Amino acid sequence: MRRLIVIASALLLLTLLGIAWWESRLPRPVALTPTLTGQVEYCLTCHADIAQISNSHPVQTFGCVLCHGGEPLALDATLAHSTLRGGSNPSDFSVVQESCGGDKCHSGTPTSYSDHIQRATTSIQATYAGAIASILYTYGAQPDLSARYAVSAVQDPLSTSGITSLETFDPSLQTNPFIKLFGQDCLNCHLEAQPLDGQAYTRFTGCAACHTPTQAAGVASNTQIHKLTTAIPYTQCNTCHNRGNYDLRAMTFVPRQDTPTDRLHNYYQPIAQFTTCEYMLDCIDCHTRTEAMGNGSLYSNKLDIQYIQCKTCHGTLTELPQTRTLSDPNDLAFRLALLNPVVDLKLGDTILVTEKGEPLWNTRVLADGTYQLVGEATGQVFNFKPVKGSGCLQDPNEQSSAACHNCHSVVR
Amino acid sequence: MSASDLSRRDFLKLTRNILLAACGVLGLGGLVRFLDTRTQPDPQTDFDAGPADSFADGSRTLLSQVPAVVIKTAQGFTALSLVCTHLGCTVQIKPEGFTCPCHGSHFDPQGIVTRGPAGKPLTVLRTEVTPDGRLHVYTV
Repeated sequence: MRRLIVIASALLLLTLLGIAWWESRLPRPVALTPTLTGQVEYCLTCHADIAQISNSHPVQTFGCVLCHGGEPLALDATLAHSTLRGGSNPSDFSVVQESCGGDKCHSGTPTSYSDHIQRATTSIQATYAGAIASILYTYGAQPDLSARYAVSAVQDPLSTSGITSLETFDPSLQTNPFIKLFGQDCLNCHLEAQPLDGQAYTRFTGCAACHTPTQAAGVASNTQIHKLTTAIPYTQCNTCHNRGNYDLRAMTFVPRQDTPTDRLHNYYQPIAQFTTCEYMLDCIDCHTRTEAMGNGSLYSNKLDIQYIQCKTCHGTLTELPQTRTLSDPNDLAFRLALLNPVVDLKLGDTILVTEKGEPLWNTRVLADGTYQLVGEATGQVFNFKPVKGSGCLQDPNEQSSAACHNCHSVVR
Repeated sequence: MSASDLSRRDFLKLTRNILLAACGVLGLGGLVRFLDTRTQPDPQTDFDAGPADSFADGSRTLLSQVPAVVIKTAQGFTALSLVCTHLGCTVQIKPEGFTCPCHGSHFDPQGIVTRGPAGKPLTVLRTEVTPDGRLHVYTV
C-alpha cells in the first residue's frame, strides 16, 4: 500500500513539474480589447510585428478576430488558428460575408457606399459569366449569349439588369469536350480561383485579389502580405489581365512570350494598341469602382457594365467632359480621396465625372479650362486638354477606343 | 544517524514523505495560483482630469487616456468622447471640429456630424467637479 502511495506521489510530482515546465514555455499574453468588439484577444502575443492592414482598419478598433476569426484567448498557435476564416485570407468569397460583412462595414447599402460584397460577388470578375456564356453559346450548349451560369451560384433578387440569379457552372455535366476543357483549363482568372503558378500570377482570392498588392510588394508565391489598399497598381491587374491569352482552339491558357521589364512593354500584350494615357495611367485611373466591382447586379458580359471611354475625360469635338463642383460634404469623391489621399479635395473643387455621375475624384478642372489627373497608384500628375477646340479629326459619333487609336496609339 | 545507518525502510519512508510534501506544496501553490487568477480588469470609466480651475474659458483640452476633449466655457464643462460613432476609431481634433482618420467622418466643434459615414453626434460624457475641486470625466 505504501509503495503505491510513493509511486502515485512520484507520478503526481512529475505531472505537476511537467505542467509547470509547459506553462513556462507559453508566451506571456499580450491583451488587446478592440473598441468594436470589447472582447479581449491575445493575437498580438505572437503577431505584434504585423503591420496595420490599412488606415481604415486600425487594430485598436478592429482587432484581429473580427475579420480573421480564430480563437481569441488561445496561446497555442494550432488552437488559435484552428477556426481562422479563409485560412490566411478572410476576404475569400467563401467567407467574405462573415469576415467583411455587416451593415456598417462592407455589406451595407448602395446609398451608404458600403455594398462592396454584393457588388464584388456579382461582378463579372467574380462570376466569369460572360466567358462561360460565350463558350456555351459557341459550342451550341445554349441558344444565345445571355448568362445562365457563374463560377458559383449567385443571387440578385433586386436585379436591375434583368438577371436575378446564375447557377453554378459545372463542366462535368457538359458533354462537349471543348466545354469540358474550358472548365478544366480556363477558369483561372476569376476572383474565386487560385492563381496559376508563377510570380507573374501571384495574387490572393476574393477582395484581396485586387486590394492586396502582391505584385507591387514583389512577394513570392505563398508569401503573406498584410495590406489593403484602393491604390491598386496595374501590376496587380496584370496577374489576370495581359499575362497571356486563352487559345480557344486548344482551349488552354497561353502565357505571353515576351519578358517585359518596363511599364511601356509590360502594360499591354505586344499585339495591343494603346495610347499614352492608357499605359502611363493605371487601370483604376480610368476604370471606376463600378466598372471594376460592378454595381451589385448580375450581367452577361463585361461590356454591359463597362462604359468609360476616351471622351469621359477628354470630351468630344462638340462637348466638354462632364464635371461636378463638390458642394455636398457626403459626396463619394471625398470618401474615395480619404482612402487614397493622393489629392486634397475640398468643397468647391470641380472634378470630372463619368456619364453615370461617378466622380473621377483624382481629377480637377483647372482655372484655365484644362484638366489635371493625379495617378491613384503613382501620385504622378498629368495635365490634359479637352478635345473641343483642338485640331482633333475625330468623328464625334465614333468614340470607341479603336477610333482614337487610329491617330494616338503608341509605337513601341 | 549516519547515512550508512539508514535502513532501507527508513530511506523509503523518508522518500515517501519528501514526495508527499513536494506534492502538497505544489498542489497548494497551484490552488493559490488558481484562486488568485484575475480576469481582465474592467475598463476604467472614471477619469480624473485634474484641478477644475486649471481649465481656462474657451479652452479645449485633450484627455487622450479617455479619449475625450474637455471644452470649458463660462457656462461650465462639456466633455466630448473622441470615439467615432461610426465604427469606434479615435477622431482627431481639427480647427473646424473633429475628423475621423479611418472613414472620413467630420464633426463640428459641438460634435454634430457634418460628413458621414457617421450617423450620430459624438457622445457627450458626464463631468463632475468633486468637492476637492477636481474635474472628473465619466465614460458611462
